Amino acid sequence: MLFYVLSRKTYARNLQYRGAHMVHNIASALFGFIYTSIWTAIAADQPLGEYGSAGIVSYVAFNQCSLWVAAFMTNGLGIEQSVRTGSIALELMRPVHLFYQLMCKEWGQVAYQFVYKFIPIYALYAVVLPMYIPKSLMTWLTTAVALILAGYLSICINYIIGAVALWTTESRWLYWVNHAFSMLLSGFLIPLEWLPEPLAFIARWSFYPFLHYVPTRIYLGMSSPLSLLGSLAWAVILTAICLGLTSLMRRKVEVQGG
Amino acid sequence: MMSGLRMYGLLFRASIRSRMQYRFNFWFSSVMSAVISIVEFLMLAVILLKFGHIKGWSLAEAGWLYSVLSLSRAIYRTVANDVHNIESYLVSGDLDGLLLRPIPVLTALMSRNVSIRFGEVFQGIAVLVVSMSALIREGQIGWLSIPLTVFVIISGALLLFSVGLLTASAGFWLTRITELQNITEDAARTAVQYPVSIYPRWLQGILVGIIPVGFANYMPGLFVLRGDTGWWMLPLTAGIAAALFTLALFVWRFGISRYQSTGS
Amino acid sequence: MKPMITVHQLSKSFRSPLPAPEGPFRGLRTLMSRQYTEKEAVRGVNFSIAPGEFVGYIGPNGAGKSTTIKMLAGILHPTSGEVRIDGLNPHRDRRQVARRLGVLFGQRTQLWWDLPVRDSYDILAAMYGIDAERKDARINELADLLQLGEFMDTPVRKLSLGQRMRADLAAALLHDPDVLFLDEPTIGLDVVAKRSIREYLHSINIELGKTVLLTTHDMDDIEQLCSRVIVINRGTLGFDGTIDELRRRIGLPTLIRVTYRQAPVLPSAEINENATSLRLAEVDGRTLTAECNREAISAMEALRLLEQYGDIEDVHMEEPHFEDVIHTLY
Repeated sequence: MLFYVLSRKTYARNLQYRGAHMVHNIASALFGFIYTSIWTAIAADQPLGEYGSAGIVSYVAFNQCSLWVAAFMTNGLGIEQSVRTGSIALELMRPVHLFYQLMCKEWGQVAYQFVYKFIPIYALYAVVLPMYIPKSLMTWLTTAVALILAGYLSICINYIIGAVALWTTESRWLYWVNHAFSMLLSGFLIPLEWLPEPLAFIARWSFYPFLHYVPTRIYLGMSSPLSLLGSLAWAVILTAICLGLTSLMRRKVEVQGG
Repeated sequence: MMSGLRMYGLLFRASIRSRMQYRFNFWFSSVMSAVISIVEFLMLAVILLKFGHIKGWSLAEAGWLYSVLSLSRAIYRTVANDVHNIESYLVSGDLDGLLLRPIPVLTALMSRNVSIRFGEVFQGIAVLVVSMSALIREGQIGWLSIPLTVFVIISGALLLFSVGLLTASAGFWLTRITELQNITEDAARTAVQYPVSIYPRWLQGILVGIIPVGFANYMPGLFVLRGDTGWWMLPLTAGIAAALFTLALFVWRFGISRYQSTGS
Repeated sequence: MKPMITVHQLSKSFRSPLPAPEGPFRGLRTLMSRQYTEKEAVRGVNFSIAPGEFVGYIGPNGAGKSTTIKMLAGILHPTSGEVRIDGLNPHRDRRQVARRLGVLFGQRTQLWWDLPVRDSYDILAAMYGIDAERKDARINELADLLQLGEFMDTPVRKLSLGQRMRADLAAALLHDPDVLFLDEPTIGLDVVAKRSIREYLHSINIELGKTVLLTTHDMDDIEQLCSRVIVINRGTLGFDGTIDELRRRIGLPTLIRVTYRQAPVLPSAEINENATSLRLAEVDGRTLTAECNREAISAMEALRLLEQYGDIEDVHMEEPHFEDVIHTLY
């Protein structure tokens, strides 16, 4: 119930800015277009392994759409702001766990972004790009599950980023550093198998591939749904970290009074 | 003019002193921004290391394009940070305070919340040095290209500043300009981080003709790196930057005269 | 004497695009829309202020106070009409006018938030082209007057609100402007701090001879400081004159509360025959309350009339509250 109320509120709050967000979609679509152009240019001279030139365009384009579900969250889930205004102490006092509250709110944000950003950009790409569109219902379903898990991982990561603000007073930079690493290590622009060794190693042992690489390969029918087990494992680990962090935060706020 | 520069210098230093009050944040943000720009460049580098070249542009050449743009942008954002942040001034009505001073509003705005972009400068210089020394070793370019590159960076900074100022001026009519900036500043700049020739014709047209950020690195790069065009490319580059700057100043002044201060 | 501020037929209207009708892409269509609503914030306002006057400029929220002040300061361009500050046009000669103007916004500081107070003065002095010698003299003078000494080297963000207001006031006065605009200079201050700010403002007006235009919602500010009040409501001037004139013009009655030795013997209904000057409002045991219009009848006459109803033991008179005077005007 609380989940529904909180997420709906966030969704509705965003609706007011629909117009501006539509203009923003132009920019977002352009970014994806830039990335696909890079690969088309490279594919002009050489074959691109199992992806092929059409496959890589679909790969990058789908990643650009899924940014809005799996990557672009509210900076630190808004914890930084609560820290600055001091309302964090109040939020920690509420009878509902802070992580649960913020997660519910953020799902509203993700739902909004899915409807007003993911879908319009996807539709545009489906028209103007040679975009691969899966035929099997099973693929669509597993892709959806993969994206939901990716969204959840991203929410956890942002919770951790936000929690750090309690010690550093700001989390903006961490947010962008995380974003930069995510672009490189999640397979957003470059499929993991093409990363050179030290980077590929780091990527394989991080949660980043489950944000983009895994969902998109499932969408393209290149990976089996079994790879979702990895997403699940990371979801469990990150949830445990978030819960642990919250009790640290509580202690910190109790000592300092926010 | 001289007194204007002195005024700007004074405000600039005051802004730095303010920032230094939060020393940890200052260094932390500098390191973080260096990390971000290095990681961003790694994406391009990884692709080129794996596939050799992109539309005939080698890693060294692409590195030159990338770092020249980074440095131009670092200069623009260091010298005129809050031009990019004008929306918050318009929404909160803080622009009123700047209008009360006996100095040009633009001077006052540019010297606010100055952030020295050590991170981007460091990344830019590092990539530029590596790229250019490789190109010089291969004999593709000579020592003359060094002063030419400095010229291109400065001209590019003026160009990016002008694009930023024009977009900011639109705020006097639209108030909310974040989305517009996303297109004219972020998307356009990201596009020219890569050789413009990889894009379809219509996008190339936009990047050279409408939001002419292509003149910040790619167009002059054709001459400096490859001698594809005549020497006239450099005065043309500077001319376009100067023309856009003049236009931006004009629109800015007109915008201020149309300013509708918010708040009661 | 040549007026310091002249405002002639000043008007300002704001245009905002009409929201497009409901439907898809509404925001985008609003952006493209050519239909506007005009809102007249200020309409045909005239007044002129002589050097050395202390004028209160009041009105309810949204009446057009801030819009007027912003036009006077050169922040906004008027739609029509004229403003002159010491003969200069604040829109054409914004920077010259800025030199003659000191402005204080109580709600937001003009000082550099993270720097010591003294640094802000150094920067401002450079902006206004004040040489070092004159600057030091000026800062000493202001530090004396406003007692800034104790926090001169403290960063602004660490000042109390009262201290910050004094520091801001000094900043507005640093370049020795002829005219001072004060917007809510006592907002959020406690009683003691309010009183001290008012004292400072009073001496700035009297000793330094500044022309002051004060906008505020605190009627005590107006009553204690201003020699003249201008009231604006819904964009037009409602009143321009002294505080006493304002009181009289509104004619709120003075309340007279009389306590008799015995319960008063009231004559029948015709008592309120000349109700324009004296009206019996309430009788409660031995106490009688009457409303008395001081324009029509003097206090002595009123008492003489009230004596007819019994022996008076005690009299209490209440002048109308200024707050209420203004309230009827809005």
